[in-house]
Formats: sequence, structure tokens, C-alpha cells
Amino acid sequence: MSDSGREAGGHGATRSSGRQVGLALPRKEDIDLLTGRGTYVGDLQLPGMLWAAIYRSPMPHARLRRVDLEKAAGLPGVVLVLSGRELPDYVVPLSPFPFQSRDPFRAGNPTIKFPDHFCLARDKVRFVGEPVAAVVATDKYIAEDAVELVEADFDPLPPVVDPEEALKPGAPLLYNDWGDNLFLRFRVGADGEEAFRQADLVIRERIRSSRFTGTPIEPRGILARYEPTDRLLTIWSSTQIPHILSTLLEDTLRIPGLKVRVIAPRIGGGFGQKWGYYPEESLIPLLAILSGRPVKWIETRSEHMMATIHARDQIHDLEAAVTKDGRILGLRDRIIADAGVAYPVGGLASIVTTSMFVPGAYKIRHYQAEVRAVTTNKAPYGAHRGFGKADACFAIERLVQRVADRLGLDPAEVRFRNFIQPEDFPYISATGSRYDSGNYPAALTKALELAEYEKWRQEQARLREQGRYLGIGIGLMVEPSSSTRMGSYNSGYYSVTLRIDPMGRVFVLTGGNDEGQGHATTISQLVADELGVPFDDILVIEGDTLECPYGSGSYASRFSVVGASAVILAARQMREKVLKIAAVLLGEPEATLTMETSRIFVKDRPEKAVTLVDVAKTAYYAIFRLPEGVEPELLLTYHYRDPNVGFQPDEHGRVPMFSTFPYDANVAVVEVIPDTGQVKILKYVSVHDCGNMINPAIVQGQHVGALVHGLGGAMYEEIIYDETGQLLTGSFKDYFVPTAMEVPNFILDHLVTPNPFTPGGFKGAGETGTVGPPPVLCNAVEDALKPLGIKVQKLPLSPSSIRDAIREALPRAG
Amino acid sequence: MSSLRSIRVRVNGIEREGQVEPRLLLVDFLREHLGLTGTHIGCDTTSCGACTVLMDGRSLKSCTAFAVQADGREITTVEGVAADGQLHPLQEAFREQHALQCGYCTPGMVMSALYLLSRNPNPTESQIRRAIAGNLCRCTGYLNIIAAVKAAALKLNTRRAAI
Ligand code: FES
Ligand code: FES
Repeated sequence: MSDSGREAGGHGATRSSGRQVGLALPRKEDIDLLTGRGTYVGDLQLPGMLWAAIYRSPMPHARLRRVDLEKAAGLPGVVLVLSGRELPDYVVPLSPFPFQSRDPFRAGNPTIKFPDHFCLARDKVRFVGEPVAAVVATDKYIAEDAVELVEADFDPLPPVVDPEEALKPGAPLLYNDWGDNLFLRFRVGADGEEAFRQADLVIRERIRSSRFTGTPIEPRGILARYEPTDRLLTIWSSTQIPHILSTLLEDTLRIPGLKVRVIAPRIGGGFGQKWGYYPEESLIPLLAILSGRPVKWIETRSEHMMATIHARDQIHDLEAAVTKDGRILGLRDRIIADAGVAYPVGGLASIVTTSMFVPGAYKIRHYQAEVRAVTTNKAPYGAHRGFGKADACFAIERLVQRVADRLGLDPAEVRFRNFIQPEDFPYISATGSRYDSGNYPAALTKALELAEYEKWRQEQARLREQGRYLGIGIGLMVEPSSSTRMGSYNSGYYSVTLRIDPMGRVFVLTGGNDEGQGHATTISQLVADELGVPFDDILVIEGDTLECPYGSGSYASRFSVVGASAVILAARQMREKVLKIAAVLLGEPEATLTMETSRIFVKDRPEKAVTLVDVAKTAYYAIFRLPEGVEPELLLTYHYRDPNVGFQPDEHGRVPMFSTFPYDANVAVVEVIPDTGQVKILKYVSVHDCGNMINPAIVQGQHVGALVHGLGGAMYEEIIYDETGQLLTGSFKDYFVPTAMEVPNFILDHLVTPNPFTPGGFKGAGETGTVGPPPVLCNAVEDALKPLGIKVQKLPLSPSSIRDAIREALPRAG
Repeated sequence: MSSLRSIRVRVNGIEREGQVEPRLLLVDFLREHLGLTGTHIGCDTTSCGACTVLMDGRSLKSCTAFAVQADGREITTVEGVAADGQLHPLQEAFREQHALQCGYCTPGMVMSALYLLSRNPNPTESQIRRAIAGNLCRCTGYLNIIAAVKAAALKLNTRRAAI
């Protein structure tokens, strides 16, 4: 078997000569994945296992009159049928937070409402795709046949589709007891009236994004098994948050003494869509409890499109107080987010996050925002790579473009004039976040150079004379990573357990998990360096709540920030213990010792040595030799607390929620073909700064993948509901994700400003790229069409919408 | 079910038999009946290519064929690509170029690329892009996959030249 990881420095590497961190090592994960041994949830089989399928609402908004499951139950092979009204008493509504804490946003005087949604609809359905009934059968085909036999009667209600209409008095209500459709109202910042008085002019713009989402190629899936004697429920779930899921399940299925173990096996991509608490996650376990047999459910792509979270889709009404030379003194934003049905899947946190970060990379001292999240008859709204920050950057980067246009200034120059400067770090933003480090002018300068900005400006002028439409788009996107929010499950720490067995093999167990990021590789790199053991002697275990320390999983690019820090400090602590024991075995002072490739020796007499196995055997089998105060075994757990987030609001009610601030400067050159409306990307440059890198190949992979997510949202992807609330984009046939045909050869570069708040200097690396392409490509297209006076109003930049805009503008432009 | 059919399919070089419903999809035969779970399912509209296998040497989306259509044919799945515990040069190239992240699309990508290389030992970049246009990947952004297929072509050609 090929093992180039070994050649690249795994075996025989030493701490001094072969640091692993910083090397682009091939991944430990890959051989299994390349040979078909991945073992995702869908691949698991248990003895006696049954299959579940779900009958989902075909109606966007309706009263549920009757669900008749008799025919479905009568189909040979069907074992169990269940509707919402038959839920056992021990099932309570889905809860957004453990311990029913329903007031997570203490700052900002929020109005926040939570409806009681059960895992199956009982009286009312509120979106196409809402689970209404479940069937369990001996195989997948029979379960799907049985769903066809479910009969349900609905009394249709008027649908709520447009978020602005939904806010009007007299609009139909999703939740009658609310009295309106306002899911959340939140205010942040302080009014900068003074800034608006001092301004030369006030620029008002409406910036609107579209609804799109992550669509991992592996849809969601759950396998559940219940062992009644121990009251032990084991769930294998394609989730980003195994521990949180176990807690939420123990809270939702109130069987006295119930214990839940969640195992997240190999996961086929998450991107935020597997961060949340979905009805199926308690429904499938419930079916296993009721049927007494293991039950598996694997989401189909059609189900995924209608029932797994959507994201983005915000309207920003911005007012900027600017000076004639393009400085932005103050900013007000009124945000409306189309939050879909009010499920506890993280959407509100994403919207609040948007409101915190609209000022972006700019030193805007006066900022105020009001957010209204509106409930509509659409699938729930939640996390998607770039969580809320993508929406903030979209608003500000589009606004800066408009400011430059209005003032007749170069859009790059307007950015340089407003940037937070390198010497300003750590920078406290108007909403109280502490930006750790960065150099925005340097990143943009580099991006402009790589794009040959001046040359293209000249080319643009030349082509304009020939009636061709070339445009240049610019953006500098700050994408805060690693979040904390007290009172939610997003609680600002990361735990790592390190165990060395008597044979010297190293086991690293964490409270995170992996959806393709390559933790087994990067954690091994960190531990190999810090501890001084071979890369291949390290096994990383994540995603099993029984074995691993508690943790809130993977999201917000938190691994390289808090996760890697916990790994480093755990390894340092373990190293200390190993050296202490070795000191006794060698009869030498601890301070004179070091460890490389599992060999502990006296620094200036390398022949005087013991092995890690000698130390480990002592720690397990000869504990009488252990020095005073040293516990048996080589086992410890390190809890890392994030030092750069806040747990209490300051006097202005502000809490720094994000720990570090990676960013990405993008420049795009496009040509718009007026006859077809096609946008050709001629050049796309990205200069990314995520601090130090653990594995540059993995960072590059994450970054390109993220850019392509952004490209999809900018150019192709849109979730569309018609005016009756029916979903029109129910498959990959109408929801277009980029293929290999569409992806440009990005020009990439990195800038490194180490994060001063983490031991490794790392920032988050997985999401930043997602943020840039929507605003940058819109800016480029708007720049191209400037001679026609066209403002791009809509994402995605589809040929038809651009062609329509051009056709409308051409007569005007004469 | 009432009308089971007997089929014989040579899968990764081994003769396999099955009693299947006529409506059983080939992908489910491979996964559920034969336990070859390396072939994945990512959609229900023949769009994603996660299920790609070779049938008689040609690439096929196995979610869009019935098991009975494979009767008497030869199927290669991702489990049959590495030989004697050695990764195929294409698989090696995927690893070296970091052409996979979550790995869910990977088996399908490998099979599509394998098919391309079997017909065209020196594909251009645009031919590679076209050959994998029916395989969706949400993690990598494709560029490293394209690089891996290029690198694999080089490896295979060097190896051929050496023989
Ligand atoms: S599963 Fe076959 S094409 Fe998607
Ligand atoms: S590697 Fe995850 S979908 Fe391709």
C-alpha cells in the first residue's frame, strides 16, 4: 500500500529536524476513503435492522385534519406506523438549547419566540416537507411503498412566502399565539447621529441576497438502537454535534433513566447543515424504541432539498454617513431575514451574528443595526459555511462598491481609506468583538498585484470603447471564527483526552468531529511535534460520546482555534509527565531530558535514553517507581478555554462572541456578454490569511472548496419557492451546484499574521473563502455594466436576469 | 416479493449471484446485497455521480440501472480498483494531490476518472473537466481532482513506458 505520508516525514522524523506542523502531509484518512472503506451512516447494518421512511407535508401551510395510516400499516413488511397525534407522552417538543434555556441573547434586548414543534406535525403543517407520519418496514423499498399509502387530509391556509409581506399587519400567521410573524428582533450598536451630522452625504442602499445552502453530497442519516435493560439509546448520526445531540435527545425523549450515546461515524460533508436539531433526530430513535429493533433512515436528496436547513436570504437597508473622500463615518442597517419555519436549528444565532459584523474590515466607529427574523412557510433557516458573516460581508462589500461609484472613486482606494490598520490590532469593534490580528492593506495590495489591477483597468477602458463589458470586482472579507455564546451549547471550550497505552501507542480523543477536514492528520501532526512521538503511532478518535470528552462538535471553523490549542496543551502536559517518570528511570534531572520519536534521552548525551514504552510500562505496571505526586497511567484530559471571547456583556451589553478573524482579499475580472447575459470569469484572485497553518495542503483544499461554495451562491445556486409556497428547486436538476466545468483556476496566495491568542498562532481556515465570491462577482458585474447604469439587484448572477437587466437598460443608455 | 429474478454478475472479478426484485436498483444490489458500500448514493435524479461504477468497462451511474440489467455483465466498483494491497496510481494521485476531503464523492470520481484514462491516456484539462462533469463534489472545488487525474495520467504513462 502506498504510504507517502511516511516518506514525507512520518517515520524517523524528530522534533528538531522534522517538525510536522507546517508540512503538507498526505492525509491519514485517505486510503480508506479511496478504497471504499469509508463507513458512513448509510453503510452500517445491525442485526434485525429496519428501515424508516417519512411522509412529509405536500402543503406549505394547512391545518392537519386527519392522518390515516391503515393502508400503510397493512402492507406486508411494514412493522410500525406513527403519526404526530400518536406520539407517546414522554416525547416533548424539540428544544433549541439544553436545559430549556430560552434566553441566550442577553444583550440587545431581544424579542425571541419559540414555538412547540414536535418531531411529527400534530395539528398544523408549516412548510412543504414537514414530517407528518413515519413508517418502519423490513426494507427500504417497502418503507417507501408504505409512504405512498399514507392518506392525509388538510385544510389549506394562506401561505406566508414573502418576509416583508409577512411583517404587515393582517398577514396570515404561522403561529397564532405569537400575534405576528416576528421570530426574533434584536438591536445592536449605538446610534451615530453625530456621524450622520458630520457626513458630507448619506448613501442609502438596499442590498438583497438569495436563499442558498450547503448540500453536502452525503445527505443526513440516522441509525438508532435501543437496549431497554440499560435504557441505553445508541444513535449513529451524520451530525456535526454528537455530544450536543445526545444531550438534546435525553431532554426530548423523557424516559426516566434514558442514556444516549451518539456516534458520528465518517461524515460526507457538513457545511453547517448538520449542525442543528432536526425532527428526524428524535423521530428515528423513537421508532427504534417503539419497534424494539434498530431503525435506519437515510435522507433522500429530495427530502434534503425540502427539509434540511436553508441559509442567507437577507434584506439589508443600509444608510452610510460618508465624507466626500470616501470615509465611512457611520452606518445604520435594518436587516430582515427570511427565517422559514421556526425550528431550533441555529438560524437565529446566524442572523444575530450578521448584525454584529456588518462593519467588516472597516474602522466604522458608529454602527447600529436592527434585525428582524421573520417566520415564513419555508424550510428552516440555519447554519451554512460562512454563518451569518457571509451575509454581513455581502452587505458591506456591496455597499463600499456603491459608495465608490457614487463618489466617483476607485473602489480599492475607498477600501484602503477605511481599513482597520495593522497597528490597530487587537481592535475592538463597534459591537464589542476583539479582532485579533491582520493586515488588510497588505492583503488587498497583494491581491491587486496578482490580478494586475492597473493593466485590467486600462483594458476595461479600451474594451468599453468597443462596446464590450469588462468589470473588476474587489472585496476584503473578514470571517470571524470560533464562536461562543453563553447559555447556548456553544460554550467556549474544547476538551482533549490523551492516552498512551503500555506499548507507547498514543490515543487522542476530542470533543470535536470531522466532516472531511482531516483532523486525524492535523491532530497527529500537532501531537507528533509537541509530544515527540511518530506520526503513525497516533490514533485520533472523535465523534463517540461514550469514549470522547464532552464537546460541542465542529462548526465555526473552531478546530484550528480552540481544538488545536487544546491538543497542543494536552500534549505538553503529557510530555511533562513522561519526562518526570523518565527522570526517575534515568536518574537524571527532568530539565536535562527531551523526547523525540518516543525516545527520551539526556539532551547532551543522547545515548543515555529510555523509550516511551519503558516509561509507559512503569506508569501502568511499576507504579512504586513513580515520583511523588505522579498518578499511575498515562492519561489526561485538557480543557482549553477560549481567552479571546467574552462570557459577560460589557456596560454597553456587548459580548465578544468570536475568537479570531481570518480574512480574504479577492479581486475578480469578468466579462459580461450582453447578448446572452453570460458572465465569464477571466481571473479570480484570493489572498487569504488564516494565521499559521498546520497543514498547508489541507488549508488550500478547504479554501478552494469554500471559494467554490461562494461561487455557487454567486452564480448558480438559488432555492426558489413560488408564491403559493411550493418549492421549485427540489433536486440537483434545478438547484445547480458548480461542477468541474464552472470552476475557474483561482490564483491563490497566503499572508500569515499569527493569531496572538492561541499557542499555535492558528486562525479558522474552512469558511473564509465562501464569503467572497457573491459580493466580489456582483461588484465585478456591476462594474462591467456601469456604462449602462445597471445596479445588480439579485443573486445568483444568472444569464437570464443579467440579460433582462441589459435589455431594460439599453434603450435608456441610448 | 413475488417475482424474484436470478441474476449472475461478475463483480470485481468474482462471480456473484442474487435473487432480486426486478425493480431493485443496481446500487442497492451492490450495497445491500453484496455489502459493497464503497459505492455511494447522493441524489435521486442521476445528478451527483457518487454511485458511478464500471459496467463492462464503461462508466455507469448505478442508481440509474436495475440490478437485472447487470445480469451476465461485469461490474467494477471502487473496492476493485486497488490490487494486491497496492493503491492504483489514480488513487495514489488523489492522495498526493489532496483531491478528497469528506470522501463521499470520491469513489464515483475515481471510477469516472478511471474510465476517462482507459479511453484517453493523455487527457487535456478540459477533457478531464468534461469527464467528471457528472460527478458533484461539495468539498474540494474540483481543482485538486483535476490535478490528480493529470498526475495519474503521467504516472500511468511512465509506468507503461517502463514496461
Ligand atoms: S446517486 Fe447516482 S447519480 Fe446521484
Ligand atoms: S470530497 Fe466531499 S464531496 Fe467530494
